[in-house]
Amino acid sequence: MIKFHPTSQQLNKFSDGLLTPAEALMISAHCDMCPQCSSKVMLYTEAHSETLFEDNSQTFDADLFGSMMADITSGEVDRGIASDPQNRVIELDGRKFTLPRSLNRLSESMGNWSHMVGKLWQAPVNIGGDTVANFIFMEKGGGVPEHTHRGSEMTLVVNGEFSDGLANYSSGDFTVMDDQKIHTPSTTSDEGCLVFSVIDAPLHFTSGWARLINPFSHLFFK
Amino acid sequence: MLIGITLENNKPDVRKPKDCAAEMAAHLDTVAKERCKASFAKVFGYFAPRLRSYALKQMGNEAIAMELVQDTMSNVWQKAHLFNAEKGSPSTWIFTIARNIRFDMLRKLKNRKEDVCSDDMWPILCEQTADPKEKSLEEKVTLQQVGELFNQLPEKQKAVIEAIYIEGKSQQEVADELEIPLGTVKSRTRLALQRLKDMLETHD
Ligand SMILES: [Zn+2]
Repeated sequence: MIKFHPTSQQLNKFSDGLLTPAEALMISAHCDMCPQCSSKVMLYTEAHSETLFEDNSQTFDADLFGSMMADITSGEVDRGIASDPQNRVIELDGRKFTLPRSLNRLSESMGNWSHMVGKLWQAPVNIGGDTVANFIFMEKGGGVPEHTHRGSEMTLVVNGEFSDGLANYSSGDFTVMDDQKIHTPSTTSDEGCLVFSVIDAPLHFTSGWARLINPFSHLFFK
Repeated sequence: MLIGITLENNKPDVRKPKDCAAEMAAHLDTVAKERCKASFAKVFGYFAPRLRSYALKQMGNEAIAMELVQDTMSNVWQKAHLFNAEKGSPSTWIFTIARNIRFDMLRKLKNRKEDVCSDDMWPILCEQTADPKEKSLEEKVTLQQVGELFNQLPEKQKAVIEAIYIEGKSQQEVADELEIPLGTVKSRTRLALQRLKDMLETHD
């Protein structure tokens, strides 16, 4: 049961194509897993299209549009090739995870899994820009040391469950963390937990030995 | 070429999208089936001016706005067969095409380096394999026949198809393995599939 959804405002902007690419990607992947938000998006999309096409202030100007139309209809019709919309499956240590469809193409170029501190695994996904995306897998009993954020951190649970001292999350849940929140993600479930995470600045560790790695945190969670 | 358009010049079609949805859906269907230019002219006449106002507001630049209109309407012409009246109205479909193009345009204009494209999130213009026409074609052809046709492909195309469809590799993996650009893998796949399809269609 998904408990954490994007806000209505986020879904609305998403349907209008106005979110930043990284945010749009996260919302889209959530919608792949969440029928409730996905139907909201359909309604918003319909509303946007109504608004757009209600405006009839422009008349058809043959000078402006005539050649454009001729141009369009004179070209060869290229049907392209049908693609198989199957969801991609990624693997870690014999475990298999089916990804939300929106992550299909980008996950094709994901980096190798690297084993990190605290029963954590991380595989980078290059989505370009200033944001850093990773698949993070927490083995049972594993977790990320307590930290806050200099920017924002968006997380989508792809498979499994985890808690962070603020709440419990399970498959499909979407959360946004910022510099106001300190949390300690970890999992106690036997299957572990796979999340997809996007951050726009390195994490800032707040307790114990983990503070020592702050100067290098960009090397770990980047 | 512009039948049905000159008459409507200077007389804007003030109907709301809802009120002409059924009519536009029928035109799109004719475009899909017959590449009918007169039907396309009706769709174009209604939507292009509206898209232009929208694009002007959004992009604030005449040239870019017209590019958005042209790209959108060009997709409507090319991809009319992907419109499905059961899934939504023509105006919603056309809006989503325009929105996707705008999303990709803005990303480029703002010089954003993100490698996230509208197809990742809204694959509305991706051809579906679940096309009933294609299925019936598949059913008519035995595996052996496909094998024979497959053997007629040029070696380079065969290698790519084998790796992707038989060994289940991604296009990127194939590119790395064969040390050729990803674009080449894509075009070889495309050419090979098109060729197989042509051969299958003339087969019976
Ligand atoms: Zn949701």
